[in-house]
Amino acid sequence: MSVAELKERHLAATETLNNLKQRLNQTRRSLLDTDVAGYARSQGKSAVTFGPTDLVCCRTLQGHTGKVYSLDWTSEKTRIVSASQDGRLIVWNALTRQKIHAIKLPCAWVMTCAFSPTGQSIACGGLDNACSIFNLNSTTDKDGNLPVTRMLSGHKGYISSCQYVPDEDTHLITGSGDQTCVLWDITTGLKTSVFGGEFQSGHTADVLSVSINGSNSRIFASGSCDATARLWDTRVASRAVRAFHGHEGDVNSVKFFPDGNRFGTGSEDGTCRLFDIRTGHQLQVYSQKHSDDKTHPVTSIAFSISGRLLFAGYTNGDCYVWDTLLAKVVLNLGSLQDSHEDRVTCLGLAADGSALCTGSWDTNLKIWAFGGHRRVI
Amino acid sequence: MMAISSPKGSGVGSPKAPTLPLPSPKAPPGYPDLYGKRREISRLHMLEREISFLEEELKSSEGFQPASRCCKEIDDFVMAKADPLLPTKKKKSRSSRFWKWLCCTPCSTLCSCLCCCCCCEPRCCDGCSKHLSLPSCSCCQHLRQCSCCKCVTPKSNCCRGSNSGCCKGSCGCQNCCIPPSCKCLSCCSCKCSCSCTCPTCPKLPQSCCCIKSCWSPCCCC
Repeated sequence: MSVAELKERHLAATETLNNLKQRLNQTRRSLLDTDVAGYARSQGKSAVTFGPTDLVCCRTLQGHTGKVYSLDWTSEKTRIVSASQDGRLIVWNALTRQKIHAIKLPCAWVMTCAFSPTGQSIACGGLDNACSIFNLNSTTDKDGNLPVTRMLSGHKGYISSCQYVPDEDTHLITGSGDQTCVLWDITTGLKTSVFGGEFQSGHTADVLSVSINGSNSRIFASGSCDATARLWDTRVASRAVRAFHGHEGDVNSVKFFPDGNRFGTGSEDGTCRLFDIRTGHQLQVYSQKHSDDKTHPVTSIAFSISGRLLFAGYTNGDCYVWDTLLAKVVLNLGSLQDSHEDRVTCLGLAADGSALCTGSWDTNLKIWAFGGHRRVI
Repeated sequence: MMAISSPKGSGVGSPKAPTLPLPSPKAPPGYPDLYGKRREISRLHMLEREISFLEEELKSSEGFQPASRCCKEIDDFVMAKADPLLPTKKKKSRSSRFWKWLCCTPCSTLCSCLCCCCCCEPRCCDGCSKHLSLPSCSCCQHLRQCSCCKCVTPKSNCCRGSNSGCCKGSCGCQNCCIPPSCKCLSCCSCKCSCSCTCPTCPKLPQSCCCIKSCWSPCCCC
């Protein structure tokens, strides 16, 4: 077959592809009979209301000397690890604000960190294109630094996101600027599976975020600069289960909804969205202009333990608390006393849902919890 | 190369310099464009694969439930699950204290200071001045023994000794005070600045933040 014939077939295939996409979109539109807010209103639901002291900043964790880029809680809820542009990971006791560990990193340009399920290890990665594993029980070297236990090398781009597979200290998923996600075996330091990439169907731009389904750890979602989120099954690395379109900019953050059948996204386009993993439906858009009448990119999101609240950090320092059901902003942590003074870059909820931790370019982490009273009915 | 011509008015009959032809590059050799062909084949295969994926998805979409069913599932799930961050009315019980470890309730009116930890017994803090206010207290490790200005647990990392051991403001005392050679100075400033006078280490500047504990002989930032 000549190159000219190939190009003709390429054109015909592109047209077929576009037609199929149109038909699929039409089918989806016909099934979108309502969104989450429309359904909730039809059921007579009213939005959550917070009193002035209901959600307060209870702790400020100070110690980093550079922008905070990532944080993660342990499963026992008392410790937090944070990663900063100052080239350190700090493990905090969230109750006492004490620094339990301060780990100097081989590469200062860290972008992500994660606690292992047992809390014994920490993973981090960044512009060094590798994911470093630290065992917190290791003996420090002569300089007092915790050594790298394992280096997961193989990505051809920066590590934007990492998360341990739930209940497995030995497996980890990373998202990378090389457009792929990788499932790693930490024991051997080798890749178990590569999701996407040059010869497989996957993201067509940098992967910025990954989130593993808490109800089914074989399923994870990824968000990318190609403006899509994709769902993956770790047993089938050759292609994504589904691609989710709708955002008009980079998908900076993805997080599974607590029920495991939906996930949320936060994007450069200033909106958060909720998608259903089984049908691919875009169930809700969360969008509101800020006090300066502008939209600001979403940097990070987290759901409360029931899913009723969606926390979203923005580049202008706002941290909106959305009522997920009514799609309304019910609180802005950025306007409260003791709020961050700069961009909120990361959010994380304690395992029991009792507290939210936020990290910021202002070098601090803050812990927010319910400060109100609950009365007997 | 420009043709050289004689200047105007140089006179009739002066000889003209020869004009060289303009350069013309040779046409590329007629090799087969293998790289281009292979690339096109690869792109075509990827397209055909995407087409088969979409056809599968289109077929499976016939069985998709409408969005309203998904919304109902979300609604049912959210309403059924308790959420410690929601301002709902709930019966207050000892068993629900697990979510209260960070929120604050005032101590008994007889106490002169406020304790930050709801998990603490409403016990008055010894030696605390009235100036202490939320969130100044650091909960000691041991629950139910939370006191503002002194730590009950022997191995705690709270500052000992003089009044500087009382942590004000939002700074927690961060492993600064390790006897016998270290003194905890302004643990109460926003950056925990402590200086450990070590025999072999130079004195550190005041602004140096002790990220690491002073377990080792020298305090390193």
